[in-house]
Amino acid sequence: MNNVRLRVCAVSAAVLIGLTACGGGTDVEAADLTAEPEYEGTLSILTKFGGEPLSPYFEDLAAEYTSLHPDVDFEIIQETDQSIKDKTKTLVASSALPDIYFSWTGDYADKFIEGGLATDLTSVLAPDSEWGGTFGAASLDAFAKDGKYYAVPLYNNGKFMGYNKAVFDAAGVAVPTTFEELLAACPKLEAQGVEPLAFGNKDGWPGLHFLQQLFAYNVPQDVLEKDFDPATATWDHPGYVKSLEEFQSVVQDCTGTGSDSNGVLYSTAQQAQSSGKAAMYFQEILEFDSVVTDASAIKAEDFGIFALPAPEGAEGDPAALEGSPEGMMVNAKSPRQALAVDFLKFVTSKANAETLAGAPYSQPSTIVGAVSDATASPAVVEGVAELNDASYLLGWLDAVTVPDVADAWLAGGEALVSGSETPEEVLSSVRAASDSAE
Amino acid sequence: MRRRRRPRGWAWVAPALLLLGVFVYLPLLQNLQYSVMKWDIYAGGSSFVGLANYEKLAGDPVFWRALFNNSAYAAVSLLCQVFGALLLAALVEGLRSERWRRALRAIYFVPSAISLTVAGLLFYFVYEPELGILNALLRGVGLDSLTQAWLGQEGTAIWAVIAMSQWQGFGYSTLLFAIAIQRIPQDLFDAASLDGVGPIRRFFQVTVPLTREMTGLMIIVTLSGAFQVFNEVMVMTSGGPNNSSQVLVTWLYRMGFGRNDFGYAAAIATVIFVLTLGIALLQLAITRKRRVEW
Repeated sequence: MNNVRLRVCAVSAAVLIGLTACGGGTDVEAADLTAEPEYEGTLSILTKFGGEPLSPYFEDLAAEYTSLHPDVDFEIIQETDQSIKDKTKTLVASSALPDIYFSWTGDYADKFIEGGLATDLTSVLAPDSEWGGTFGAASLDAFAKDGKYYAVPLYNNGKFMGYNKAVFDAAGVAVPTTFEELLAACPKLEAQGVEPLAFGNKDGWPGLHFLQQLFAYNVPQDVLEKDFDPATATWDHPGYVKSLEEFQSVVQDCTGTGSDSNGVLYSTAQQAQSSGKAAMYFQEILEFDSVVTDASAIKAEDFGIFALPAPEGAEGDPAALEGSPEGMMVNAKSPRQALAVDFLKFVTSKANAETLAGAPYSQPSTIVGAVSDATASPAVVEGVAELNDASYLLGWLDAVTVPDVADAWLAGGEALVSGSETPEEVLSSVRAASDSAE
Repeated sequence: MRRRRRPRGWAWVAPALLLLGVFVYLPLLQNLQYSVMKWDIYAGGSSFVGLANYEKLAGDPVFWRALFNNSAYAAVSLLCQVFGALLLAALVEGLRSERWRRALRAIYFVPSAISLTVAGLLFYFVYEPELGILNALLRGVGLDSLTQAWLGQEGTAIWAVIAMSQWQGFGYSTLLFAIAIQRIPQDLFDAASLDGVGPIRRFFQVTVPLTREMTGLMIIVTLSGAFQVFNEVMVMTSGGPNNSSQVLVTWLYRMGFGRNDFGYAAAIATVIFVLTLGIALLQLAITRKRRVEW
């Protein structure tokens, strides 16, 4: 009997040990990305194109690629802007990261690179290579680290103030050229019976977008980049407090919801401009064509954009813009790296890039020449041109900082909106988070 | 005739024990293990840090805020979903009309049939500052000064979420208490009435003592549930604004999936486990001693 019991225990222990051993990663040798791939197997892809109108893009491309290479199948996981971070972490933790996966720039991308999860694509993607030469150089550089290139930038993105020209004209307001002019315009716009600036900060990050653009204006670039790294950060430049105060001013003086804005969805604000109830709305290029549609109250001819104007006498760079490309990495542990690269070359071909730039996707492709009057709306073309002309592109605040600091900014931004903390208190929390993350 | 050898009892329960071991106790042990580690999922490595995660937890103001919010959740839930629900069940079951009793049971139960996620989303729009029905009602009765962003203000966010949860869970608790009251022999109520006992004394001297087992069970379920609350907070506020509505599980989630600090998240999970286990053991001990018989 004891032997039987022992055997049962031994089998149970073996099962337990076997299960706990599951999920380990497999080291794969670096593939020769310049060689012809073997066109067989299943390519897995994690995208941020879940939902309409974006979801068919990769599905259609996969079907087309399979028609060219019948032995290649696809497994496509489509997430949204909100859900992809959690999904990616779950896949990383369970060693199930797909062959191709989405990434933002900054600290978000660095984690994959430093963790050995991103394939070094330099041999095929460097700016002087045949494929790399088809991209805007700044977009490629946004994903570069130590001179190596780790991601295929799929589309560019930047933040602009979208405005209703008809409402501005009726109020006798010109496009503001300084931050002070923007604040002064708000009461005149409100007198037209509309919300001067729609703002919904339920998720916290819309406030961070205002802050990061103001930081670019008020804090010199070298100081910003030093502060984004906890090892060198001090977060003590006076431009930060100035920016936080300006953010509070714009929330209080220009938005209809004011200190209640933390209870309003970002999409509600977007809808306010789309339905003609708001004169302005701070938005990404990716949203331009969602605001102005066939069904929207605001018509294409009334929709204009301008960069959030810089404050007078700001110490930073008045020609800097907040924005960064977003792209796809190739899993360094994938046995199909060469095939993944071949598929990404197919995705970023001129024809497919133009499809991405055009309706209904409206994603400003990073492929040179793909965004033009022939493929994209005038506002998207203008936004991309301004991004290309910007002296400095500053990435999203919650992507360029480490998670602890990003969280402190997120909570601090909400506290500024509701008025529960002063700018100095918020900055103090950020310093504490940065110090503990060092 | 040769007697067939019957398997021993442990052989019958071995598969269940194995499954429990793999899917319940092993993850619990692993969680304990992770709580003393620093785990970098991107680098795929972990290192032993002793009690550092627990020390960090003791000095984390958001953790204490979350613990306070869970405690508030538990207190309000006890009041509404145990004592309030028992009172309501007694009132409904005391009605003479069977038709009314059925109708009211159904009305109270309907919110419980809605998933928490859906209810959370529904109430997000109820609380919306510009378009929400709550502020519209307040404006309608001239209480404009009370209108606000219920989920967007640090002072009201968690209370607004708790209120929604009570609305959602109240009917289910009431129904369970109604069943417990129906199990009390009618003779006892009749005897009390013959002795001239009024409805209030009847409630305290017949209904309350004879539904004690259900009350004990409801207290366990309500308290442990209050420390595991997640869906409604996630849907309605994500713990904001400024972390004012964080509860333990949303903070755990934020630490694990937001900050990649899985060791710290495991330490929070251990605290939740200890709290809920403690509540369950305490209540089991109390209710075991006071078994109701008639």
